[in-house]
Amino acid sequence: MYPMLTFLSMFYYICLRRRARSGTRGEIMNSRRAIESSNRILPLSVEVVQYAKEVVDFSSQYGSENSLSYTMWNLSGLPNVYPSSGDFTQTAVFRTYGRWWESCPSSPPPFRRTPRSFHSQEYVELAFEEAVYPTAIDVLETYHPGAIVRILACSANPYSQTPPSEIRWETLWAGEPEKVNVSQARQFTPCIKQLDFMTNLIRLELNSSFLDYYTELDAVLLHGVKDRLLSVRKPSMLDLEDDDKDDHSLEFFNGQITGIPLPEYTKNGYFEKLPYELIQLILSHLTVPDLCQLAQTCKLLYQHCYDPLQYVQLSLQPYWAGLNDGSLEHLQSRCALVQFLNLSWTGNRGSISTQGFRRFMQVCGYELVRLELACCHFLNESCLEVIAQMCPNLQELNLSSCDKLNTQAFCHIAKISGLRRLVVYRTKIEQTALLSILNFCLELQHLSLGSCVMVDDYDVVASVIGAKCKKLRSLDLWRCKNITENGIAAIVSGCRLLEELDLGWCPMLQSSTGCFIKLARKLPNLRKIFLTANRSVCDTDIEELAENCPRLFYVDILGTRMVSPAALRKLLQFCKELCLLDISFCSQIDSRVVQELSANFPNVSIKKSYTQ
Amino acid sequence: MQSVLAYGRIVARTVLGGGLRQSERREYRLITVSCGFGKDLRKGSGTTAKGSGYGDDACFVAAHRLADVLGVADGVGGWWDYGVDPSQFSTTLMQTCERLVQEGLFVPSNPVGILTASYNEMLQNKAPLLGSSTACLVILDRQKRCLYTANLGDSGFLIVRDGKIIHRSDEQQHYFNTPFQLAIAPPEAQDSILNDSPEAAEGSMFNVEVGDIILTATDGLFDNMSDYMILQQLRKLKDSSYQSLNETVKSLAKRAQQLAYDPNYMSPFAQHACENGLNVQGGKPDDITVLLSVVTESKE
Repeated sequence: MYPMLTFLSMFYYICLRRRARSGTRGEIMNSRRAIESSNRILPLSVEVVQYAKEVVDFSSQYGSENSLSYTMWNLSGLPNVYPSSGDFTQTAVFRTYGRWWESCPSSPPPFRRTPRSFHSQEYVELAFEEAVYPTAIDVLETYHPGAIVRILACSANPYSQTPPSEIRWETLWAGEPEKVNVSQARQFTPCIKQLDFMTNLIRLELNSSFLDYYTELDAVLLHGVKDRLLSVRKPSMLDLEDDDKDDHSLEFFNGQITGIPLPEYTKNGYFEKLPYELIQLILSHLTVPDLCQLAQTCKLLYQHCYDPLQYVQLSLQPYWAGLNDGSLEHLQSRCALVQFLNLSWTGNRGSISTQGFRRFMQVCGYELVRLELACCHFLNESCLEVIAQMCPNLQELNLSSCDKLNTQAFCHIAKISGLRRLVVYRTKIEQTALLSILNFCLELQHLSLGSCVMVDDYDVVASVIGAKCKKLRSLDLWRCKNITENGIAAIVSGCRLLEELDLGWCPMLQSSTGCFIKLARKLPNLRKIFLTANRSVCDTDIEELAENCPRLFYVDILGTRMVSPAALRKLLQFCKELCLLDISFCSQIDSRVVQELSANFPNVSIKKSYTQ
Repeated sequence: MQSVLAYGRIVARTVLGGGLRQSERREYRLITVSCGFGKDLRKGSGTTAKGSGYGDDACFVAAHRLADVLGVADGVGGWWDYGVDPSQFSTTLMQTCERLVQEGLFVPSNPVGILTASYNEMLQNKAPLLGSSTACLVILDRQKRCLYTANLGDSGFLIVRDGKIIHRSDEQQHYFNTPFQLAIAPPEAQDSILNDSPEAAEGSMFNVEVGDIILTATDGLFDNMSDYMILQQLRKLKDSSYQSLNETVKSLAKRAQQLAYDPNYMSPFAQHACENGLNVQGGKPDDITVLLSVVTESKE
């Protein structure tokens, strides 16, 4: 016995202790406890509990790129805030919350035919050190919880050198967005489905429409076992069958259909009696996967379901998990008339190739008016080149968070002269490409340059905006760090139609230069003004806004010490359409003032965030 | 049972030891203790730190796989006029430095980089932080066995070897009693508040040996105790044990506090004042923060 024990302890020391020594982030930190499977004949499984090692992808974040404050970086590793709750820097925060951004005029209408089960607005993907069969997932939410709507697991290992041949995403849990009554910190542990593969890549999808303020996440714990529980564990309460079909098993998009010839004797039944347009109208209410399945029923409906008029608006974002080159190819034949195309979130980890995308654009790009490509990391310069060539009617282009796109690619956008809406939030666009876009795309009405860190001098960009973009109605300059009063002067002089202006976290703007007064006086149509974290905003600025911009509905003046309750009262009195006022961290405004203002102006949502 | 496990471990170590560890040098480590006193009796005097500081001073000690890092920050007083607690800035600065180190977001050879990153992070806080402080950071690169330092202002450090001071930081002052300082000023006072860039910090690099003593402190110590007196106190240090270190650092801080309130003592501060034409005598009551570290060899 003793030699055996010696050997075992040697083994323990060599293998397990050495592992524990490295102590880098995200390594298994916690308990390794043995859990019994319900079938006693099976051996004991060790449960592994791990914090996330790394955040590998996400759709947006509140904080600055390369910062630790309010960024997705905080979601990996140990929690910093939990179980306290409050608005702290060391948490992961997304860029938006609630419905405020959706209801802005600059926001485009939602796509039709979005399946009712798809609620996701934001996502974040986390890699863990060890792949396991998940038994539980805990998400530590420390502020305004309730945004998580879906948790998925991937079969691919983000750390493997060789790209996997097949990538599967399984939904572990799906739910409705909710509003939790108490905004205290909570540990969210939904009941998750059992997987038949090991995973160390978890994806959370969120929807914060019902929340009063930004949701903040602190950490994510993955509980799992290394040996598969072949057990008689109660099957998941949720019947996820339908969701699976919708999201992942997209065979109906692919070969399954093309291979099956319709038998000749199939009759069309009573459908033949209905007018063509009526059947088209009925079908227009079906989601795309349903359309594909319906096509297999009979020849008449096949004809209807393949009618290109059913695909004028096509949103493939809900099906991002299963969409691949084959799907695009299969849809191509029906999409020649597509005008509004949503491919956001699709194609990552190699499922869509640049050739596949280009082929699709070549066939389907001619009528395209609106193209959403948020978080499409498969895009490269040749893709944008093809878009510029093949989409002469393109008016709206969204490249939000395409941070892998190299700077050269953006030069091609200047060729899309009819462009009205351009979103390049969190991309690496450079000044040269941006200036050429501004010079050639004279129809621009909505421009989002939030967190574009590679642009050197925003004053130069602003002066070109003021000179060329006369039709501009909304401008997002969130975190455009070095813009000064000169840039603002150029913008407000040139873009007289401006309704929305986001100057959040632009620290070089000083109220003492009079730039905000000038802004208020020159933009009478102003509806949304964000001066988030501008510490110099003072009473005079608020009063000027009250007097000159009666149509204001959203105002954010977070973090200034210089605004008094009297100025706010004036703003609330004069701006009758005001519905959002964010005065978080404004030192002169305490909770009593907030209560008084909320009582006197019940139509206004007054936001005051706290650290405690 | 125990001996069997221990035996197994020894065998394993021998098996491994042959392959890896002998060719690598042993890493150096810092063993650090702290002590201090706030100037105001109401704000955390004694050895219990309020948060991570004493009075308006703050400090931190952090360990990372590659390096041991420590720092002190002396919050500049006079911010009460703006409704700001002066300790908030120095405490947040040190806490942010600590977090950067723990997250591994630093380069051991670039302590000025940590200060800059920490300062920039403070600007990213939603809450409008205000205040100013000096800062002194000391990093021991474990593998390279050398010390990288950055000093902004009149806090500083000494390196003592065999009873002699072999290296010390230089004080950075604009004029008498006005050190260089990192600051976040309110917009109405941008031009009148002294605000030095983190890049103005002076950096240095120095090789260390086992047994070297590193003393990092705010000016509360250096203004009240001459080098000779500090060395005298350090002679009490017998070995690298926590107990001995703690005793020494406490006696250092207490002695400095005693001298600070001695009206007849010609402190280094009083001497400097006389040199600058001010007829001053006695100690200088101030927040005192002392971090005492000893370089040792890593056990593994």
